Amino acid sequence: MDIVWSSTIITLIAFLILYWLLSRYAIGPLLSVMEKRRELVLSQLKEASTTRDEAAAYVTQQQEALQQARKEAYDIIEQSRQTSSKQADQMIAQAKDETARLKDEALRDIESEKNKAMAALRGEVGRVSVQIASKLIEKEIDEKTNEGLVDQYLKDVGTQS
Amino acid sequence: MHESLIIELLGMRVDLSVVLMLIVSCAVVFLIAKLATRKLSVENPGKMQNFMEWVIEFVQNQIAGTMDMKKGRPFVTLAVTLIMFIFVSNMLGLPFGIVIHPHSVAEATVFGHPILPAVEAFNAAAAAGTEAHVEVAIWKSPTADVTVAMTLAAIVFILVHFLGITKNTKAYFKHYFEPYPVFFPINLIEQFSSLLTHGMRLYGNIFAGEVLISVILKLAAVNVVGLIASIPLMMVWQGFSIFVGAIQAFVFTILALVYISQKIDTHEEH
Repeated sequence: MDIVWSSTIITLIAFLILYWLLSRYAIGPLLSVMEKRRELVLSQLKEASTTRDEAAAYVTQQQEALQQARKEAYDIIEQSRQTSSKQADQMIAQAKDETARLKDEALRDIESEKNKAMAALRGEVGRVSVQIASKLIEKEIDEKTNEGLVDQYLKDVGTQS
Repeated sequence: MHESLIIELLGMRVDLSVVLMLIVSCAVVFLIAKLATRKLSVENPGKMQNFMEWVIEFVQNQIAGTMDMKKGRPFVTLAVTLIMFIFVSNMLGLPFGIVIHPHSVAEATVFGHPILPAVEAFNAAAAAGTEAHVEVAIWKSPTADVTVAMTLAAIVFILVHFLGITKNTKAYFKHYFEPYPVFFPINLIEQFSSLLTHGMRLYGNIFAGEVLISVILKLAAVNVVGLIASIPLMMVWQGFSIFVGAIQAFVFTILALVYISQKIDTHEEH
C-alpha cells in the first residue's frame, strides 16, 4: 500500500470543487424547484378543498332553494284550490239566490195576475149581476150607485171564502 | 500487479492516473447532474430531472432515517455529491482499463518524467537478474486507490468532528468518557477505527473487484479454453461489480450520515 500524499490534496480539491459545482449549478436549483413543487401541490390541495367546500355549500343552497320552490308551488296549488272551491260555492249560492228570487217573482206575478183577474171578474160579475138584476126586477137601478154596493157585497164574499 | 502512474513533479510524487480519473469522475458526475437539471420544470419534469429528483429523494429518505430532517437538510447536497461521485468512480474502472507495458526504464516515462514504481520494478529486477514484466494502470476506478478512498473518509471524519465540536460541544467531549472515564482510550480508538474502516471498506471492495477483473483478463490471455471460460466469468463478475459499486457508494454515504447524526444529536444514547 503506497500512500501518495499529493493525491490526498488533489482528491480534496476535486471533491470540494465538485461539491461546489453541484450545489451551485445542479442540486441547489433542483432543490428549489422541488420546494416550489411542494408548495404548488400544497396550494392546489388547499384550493381543491376550498372548492369542494364551496361546492358543498352551493349544493345545500340549491337544495334549500328547491325546497322553497316546491313549497311555494304547493302553496299556490292549495291557494288556487281554495279559491276555486270558494268560487264554486259562491256560484252555487248565487244560483240558489237567483232561483229563489225567480220563484218569488213568479209567485208574486201569479198573485198579482190572480188579483187582477179576480178584480176583473169581480167587476164583470157585478155588472152582469146588475144587468141581470135590472132585467129581472125591471127596476131602474142606477148602475153607478149600486156598483159600490155590489162591490161591497162581493168583497165580503171574497174574505169569507 | 499493476503499478501506479506516479511521477515526480515540483518535488512531490504525483499519481497522474488518480488526477486523470478524478477529473473524469468529477466531469461525468457534473455532466449528469447538469444535464438532469438543464430544463428545470416545476410542473412537468423531464426524464432526467425525474431521475435526479429520485436520487435526491432517496438521499433525503436516508437522512430522515438517520437524523432529524431539520438538522439534516444542509447535508443533502453533501450526501448526493458523495453517493454520485463514489458510484460513478466505482463504475469507471469496470467497462475497460488502460494499461501501458513499458519494456525498459527508458520507455517508462510520461511527459518526459520517469514513472517511479516502474523504474523501481526494473531496478529490482535488474538487481535480481530477472526479466521485469511491468504494467502501469492509467485508467482505473479512482476509488480503487487507497489514498482517494481514505481522503474521502477523512473529509467525512474531519467534517463530523468539526460539527461535533462546534454544534454539540458538551455532548461531544462527554461522549469520550461514557459510560465510564476508563473507556476513554476505547472511545478514542473507536473514532479512528471508524475512519479507517470507512475508507478501507470502499477501497478494498473496489480494488478487489478490479484485481479480479485483471485476473480474469489474464486467464483469457492464457489460451482458447481460458478465453472461452473467461467470458461468462467476466459477465458475472462485471454484474457483481456493478452491484458492489452501487452498494459501496450507498454504504459509504449512509455511514457518513450516521457519523454526522451521532455527533450532532447525542442527547440520546448510542
